[in-house]
Amino acid sequence: MKEHLERVKAQDFDNGEFIEKVMQSASNISNEYSAFITMAKDKPNGILPISVKDNICTKGIRTTAGSKILDTYVPPFDATAVSKAKASGGFVIGKTAMDEFGFGTFSTNCAYGAPKNPHNKERVCGGSSGGAACVAYAADFPHIAIAQSTGGSITAPAAFTGTVGLTPTYGLVSRWGLIDYANSMDRIGVIGKCSYDAALGLSIISGYDPLDSTSMNRGATDYVKSIGNDVKGMKIGVPKEYFDGVDKDITENVWKSIKLLESMGATYEEFSLKLTKYATPAYYIIALSEASTNLAKFCGIRYGIEKQISGNYDEYFSAIRELGFGTEAKRRIILGTYARMSGYRDAYYIRALKIRGKIISEFKAAFKRYDSIATPSMPILPPKFSEINSLTPAQTYSMDRLTTAPNLCGFPTISVPAGTINGLPSGIQLIADHLNENKLVALASACE
Amino acid sequence: MKDYWKIDEDLVRHISLISKLNLTNEEMTGYSKDLNDVLESFRILEEVDITGVDAAFHPLSVENAFREDTASKEKDNAWDPLSATENKEGDYYKGPKII
Amino acid sequence: MGVMIGLEVHCQLNTDSKLFCSDSQDHRGKRPNENTCPICLGFPGSKPKISKKAIEHGMTIALALNCNISRTMFFSRKTYFYPDMSKNYQITQYEVPLATEGLLSVGDLKIRIRRVHIEEDPARLVHVGGDITNSEYTLMDYNRSGVPLAEIVTEPDFTSPKQTRAFLEKLMNMLEHTGVYDPGKEATIRVDANVSIDGGERVEVKNITGFENVEKALNYEIIRQNSLKRSQMKIARETRHFDATTSTTKSLRKKEYEDDYGYIFDPDLPMVRIDDEWLAKIKRLMPELPDQRVARFVSQYGLTEYYAGVIVYTDKRFADFYEECCRSNGHPDIVAKWAVNYLLKSLNWRSEKISDSKVTPKGFVEFLALIENGKLNERFAKELIKEYVDTGVSPGELLYKTKLNISEEDLRDIIAKVLKENGRAIEDYRSGRKESLQFLIGLVLKETKKQSNPNEISKLLTEMMPR
Repeated sequence: MKEHLERVKAQDFDNGEFIEKVMQSASNISNEYSAFITMAKDKPNGILPISVKDNICTKGIRTTAGSKILDTYVPPFDATAVSKAKASGGFVIGKTAMDEFGFGTFSTNCAYGAPKNPHNKERVCGGSSGGAACVAYAADFPHIAIAQSTGGSITAPAAFTGTVGLTPTYGLVSRWGLIDYANSMDRIGVIGKCSYDAALGLSIISGYDPLDSTSMNRGATDYVKSIGNDVKGMKIGVPKEYFDGVDKDITENVWKSIKLLESMGATYEEFSLKLTKYATPAYYIIALSEASTNLAKFCGIRYGIEKQISGNYDEYFSAIRELGFGTEAKRRIILGTYARMSGYRDAYYIRALKIRGKIISEFKAAFKRYDSIATPSMPILPPKFSEINSLTPAQTYSMDRLTTAPNLCGFPTISVPAGTINGLPSGIQLIADHLNENKLVALASACE
Repeated sequence: MKDYWKIDEDLVRHISLISKLNLTNEEMTGYSKDLNDVLESFRILEEVDITGVDAAFHPLSVENAFREDTASKEKDNAWDPLSATENKEGDYYKGPKII
Repeated sequence: MGVMIGLEVHCQLNTDSKLFCSDSQDHRGKRPNENTCPICLGFPGSKPKISKKAIEHGMTIALALNCNISRTMFFSRKTYFYPDMSKNYQITQYEVPLATEGLLSVGDLKIRIRRVHIEEDPARLVHVGGDITNSEYTLMDYNRSGVPLAEIVTEPDFTSPKQTRAFLEKLMNMLEHTGVYDPGKEATIRVDANVSIDGGERVEVKNITGFENVEKALNYEIIRQNSLKRSQMKIARETRHFDATTSTTKSLRKKEYEDDYGYIFDPDLPMVRIDDEWLAKIKRLMPELPDQRVARFVSQYGLTEYYAGVIVYTDKRFADFYEECCRSNGHPDIVAKWAVNYLLKSLNWRSEKISDSKVTPKGFVEFLALIENGKLNERFAKELIKEYVDTGVSPGELLYKTKLNISEEDLRDIIAKVLKENGRAIEDYRSGRKESLQFLIGLVLKETKKQSNPNEISKLLTEMMPR
């Protein structure tokens, strides 16, 4: 990417030829790995190829959020992240594959086909931003993937594909134009081949947006400047709970990365985050409570799939929703509706919000001592598609246990490749206090 | 005392009705099994002492982000509210009857 | 005995834009769905943003109703499926409303206010091929979707339908005085009424427009519930719909499970925190309330409580009209007398409000001047004001026209005829009974079908009176 931008600057560059090559290559990736749901149709214009996760609205380009219920939806506006990217010379090559509405850990709950891992096509890409990570790895052209995370949807696919996934502080990138999963956790971020790409992407799409009430009121920041910054003197906390039940080889690789940082002058210390095991249940309860209300709007009128109007609203809405939602979406609607029903909401929803408060405090206390917290990105290597089918929902949800806490609490994270195991990538996740993306970029670039 | 961490088929049926999912009996059986599993793994939340803890609605405090009361004078000419649907009549959206 | 009524009053707030987006909320003369955008249509990816003005209007209402204002509050999603809901959840307030525990007195009646909160209005529905209970399909106009509403909920303190009407009229007057509600912009107030009788469940009659209809709906409900009770049938807890054409209520047969709204905090919106400074600003900008205005009318214009009360409580714009007239007429007591006893009577007879009528302060002041200058006697003035209200033609012109409508020659003929037929009255007049002249003037007026000027008649009568 860096070389590409230098060539653009030096005008050593034929833009028309470049775009043609990019679009051809993107189309090949799409055919090879099912990484895209929709390709950009019109001939794009710009210097910076970007792919956009399909739950982020693109004006004039179909946006389904990976769901059949939005099969026909073409948004009348761009998400702020997309319009900011366009303003910086970005052009959209296509909309990347994902779990329906972000409901998955592996990108296998897909209404439009599951993306295949470019390291091994029998294996999954990770979810829910699986298509984004797949394109980021497979692209033979400079490219930034605009991705999105609710509970780990950037870290998981970045780890499984050997790419760098940056999930910024909640509110740093505007959510305007993002089709909501859980609004109090949803974050738009970036996946790239290296920390440079991720840092550049974040510099472009972040910044205050009056259209999003939860957008942070602060100016643009250049995160690229932090690439290669000295990590000497940085303190890294290593929480022991985050290694429970983690694949032994992955654990080893993560420790290698930590030792590498130590060799560059950083120090580390093992410590304990006692509330760790509560993060995943609390995350699911809050996320699904919010998700089940977000999904109420899809009912076959105004937009999305529809039928000829017949019956009363109860019958008509039910017929559309039965048809339009996949198995996991229905499961999450049921669980989310249950968690907020009168008589249950105190035990579930309100309790989970309070536990979130406690977990935030626990992390904040840790960040008084550490610049960053290092954990494995995922507890397992990318599984085969055939292995996913035997997992129960409870087992699948537990696969998110390393990423749910920072997502629940809005802390920025970066997932960086940490070696390979039998040709499959593994990743280290670095977590920092709110708005400390610069530290993460410095540490990530040191790991590479 | 009610066990909050269990869900039965009747409750799944009720939820299917209020959330308009049209689940079949088979689906209801399947989902209630899955969800009992999931809820059992969530039961540990009961251990956490939450006395005196405030509910964290957002990860960071988000306060008083307002709009001024100014109405947009001109509409984007390209804006057609009915463009995304076939179910329309004149300038109206068309929808199902109430009863 | 034993009727309990509580009201939920939904008032559209007087803002330029909608509650969560910058579409105009003024849909007068607009095509259906013209005032919409991705936000109020709930398009995927759109996000709401709170109008500060709507919150401030809510604070003003809360202060006027003597409520406690919550200093930290938030908005919630009330989830239920319905075609008028663009997101199938309504953004409203639940656990912590904007304000609680207020009071509004109507004469001796004290009505406790349980809560005041802000929420978004749903869309307008057209039930094609029938009414809400039996239409073929529904048409939706989202121009109304997202218009800010204040919902004012009373305790069940009413014991008769009549009381609710008095309360609603006072409340509306107050809302108009505070400037948060402007009926001139076709803003509406809609009421849900909860009513129960001894031994029966609570029945909710939803979405009633017009205070007269509230009274009618409640009267019907009480009769219906009493007759169920007499025949020893169960009064079920349910939601009913008021049919204005028949003045009856109909069951919406809503299933019980529909009431599980599963409220959550709306994570798209921030917490709203009202600090001392903000609250002080709203207090400082608080307009004069009706009760204060009555007191001022008594002291400033020397009116009796009665006159001041009638003028202020009729409606805000009538009181504004009165004050406007007083600025160009030095006799507020006379202005009040004519405004209340005659102008208001004529308006009421036509079921008109001052603001919808053809009457202007300028015209009314002109009318009063004609009386003061002796060009109009009282009796004829009462006739002329009716005509002014009916036609809007300025009083001066009406008087001029009246003179022309009948020639002096014809008038003399009529007077001669009246004098000839009423020898007795002439006798009385001669013997000093001056009111006989008024009697004769009345007869002449009648003969001329009121197309004449009493002053002129009086002049001619005295002149032509046999000596």
